[in-house]
Amino acid sequence: MATLEEMEELAAEYALGSLPRAERDEAEAMIKSDPQFARLVRGWERRLIPLALALEPVEAPPQIRGAVMRAVAGDRPDASRIVSLERKANNWRWATLGASAIAASLAAFIAVGTTPPKPVGDQRYVAVLQAEGPGPAFLASIDLTNGNISVRTVGATAQPGKSYELWAVGAGRAKPQSLGVIDASFRIPAAKLGKIDPAALNDTLFAVSLEPEGGSPTGEATGPVLFTGKLVATE
Amino acid sequence: MSTLTEPMDRQLDDLLPRIANGDRRAFGQLYDLTSNKLFAVVRCVLKKPELAEEALQESFMKIWQRASSYEVGSVRPMAWLAAIARNQAIDIKRRFAERLSASSAELDEANSVAIMPQAELAMELTRLKKCLANLSEERQDMVLLAYYQGWTRDELAAQYKRPATTIKTLLRRSLTVLKECLDGNA
Repeated sequence: MATLEEMEELAAEYALGSLPRAERDEAEAMIKSDPQFARLVRGWERRLIPLALALEPVEAPPQIRGAVMRAVAGDRPDASRIVSLERKANNWRWATLGASAIAASLAAFIAVGTTPPKPVGDQRYVAVLQAEGPGPAFLASIDLTNGNISVRTVGATAQPGKSYELWAVGAGRAKPQSLGVIDASFRIPAAKLGKIDPAALNDTLFAVSLEPEGGSPTGEATGPVLFTGKLVATE
Repeated sequence: MSTLTEPMDRQLDDLLPRIANGDRRAFGQLYDLTSNKLFAVVRCVLKKPELAEEALQESFMKIWQRASSYEVGSVRPMAWLAAIARNQAIDIKRRFAERLSASSAELDEANSVAIMPQAELAMELTRLKKCLANLSEERQDMVLLAYYQGWTRDELAAQYKRPATTIKTLLRRSLTVLKECLDGNA
C-alpha cells in the first residue's frame, strides 16, 4: 500500500509529465479507481497548468475541425450511452489505441450493423487499426486455430507509388518488426510474430506506416505512422 | 485561483453544459475558441505534425465525451481543457514516439517554447514563475522540459548525464519545493 507521500509524489510526476509509460499507465488506472489519488492529481494539474496556458497559440491545421465535427455527428456525449458503448467494447474485447477517438467510429460501426468478427474460443485476436474519424481502417486478426494473421482493409488504398506496411511494436521487441506490405489479400503465418503467448500478444502494438512502393527500403519505418491498434483476445 | 474571470472563461462555462447536452454548434464554437491554444499545448509535446494533429483531434473527442463531467466553478474551463490536451499528447508520445523514432534524434530538439508576452500572463503564472525561481536553473529546466515536452526521467537522464533514479529524486524534490511555495502563498 502506497503511503500518502508516495501517492502525492506519483500524482505530482504524473501531472508534470515525466513518468515512463508503465508508471503512467499505473497512475491512470489509479485515477480511475482511487478518488483520493485522482484529487491529488487534479491538485497538481491545477498548480502547473498556468505554464500550459501561457503558451502562445499556434494555428491548428484547418482540416482538423471538419474531422472532429464529422466524428461527433450523430454521436451524443450522453454518459449512459458512453458507458454502454464501453461495455460493448469490453465485451468484444476490442482495444484501440486512441480509444476515445475510436469510440465514435466504433459507435458507427455498431450502429450500421457491421458484425465484429465472430469470437472463436480464446484463440482469436483482433485489432482495429484506424486513424481518426470515419476514414479508412485496417482490421487485423490472428486466428491461432489456423495459424494465420490476416489483415483486411476497409476503404484504405495507398496512393500510387506508395505501400502500406504492417509493423509489430513492443512486447520485448527492441525495435518495430516489419510484418510485410499489406496488399489486397494480406495473410501471413502467425509464427512470424515469434513465440505466441497471450501476454505478449496483449502487449503488442500494431502499426501501419506509409512507405515507398514495395515497403521500407531500410527495414525500419521510414514514412509516417498512419494507423495503430492493439491486439486483444476475443472471447 | 484568480478572482478575475476572463471573458473567454465565461464563454466556455456557457458552452460546456450545452455540449454535455449534445449541442454540436456549441462544440464548434468551443473548438474555434480553444483549438489554437490546445494545438500549442500538444505541439510542444509532439514534434511530429501528424501526431500533434492526432492528439488535437483526440483531445476534442475527449472533450465532447467528458463535457458532462465538467463542473462549472470547480476549475477554470481553459485549465480543464488544457489538462485533457496535455494528457492526450503525453499518452500519444509514450505510445508512439519512443518506440517508432530514435529518441536520440528527438533529444536534440529541446527547443524553446513561445510564451505569451508578459503583460498577458495570468496572475497564477506570475506566482508559479516566482516559485520556480526558488529552484536552481538546471532544476527549473528539468521541470519545464518534462512539463512542456513530456520528457521522461530517462530522457532527462540522457540529456543531463545522470542516472534516472537521480533525476526522479531531483524532480520530486523540485515539485515539493514548488508545492510548498504555491500553497503557502495561496
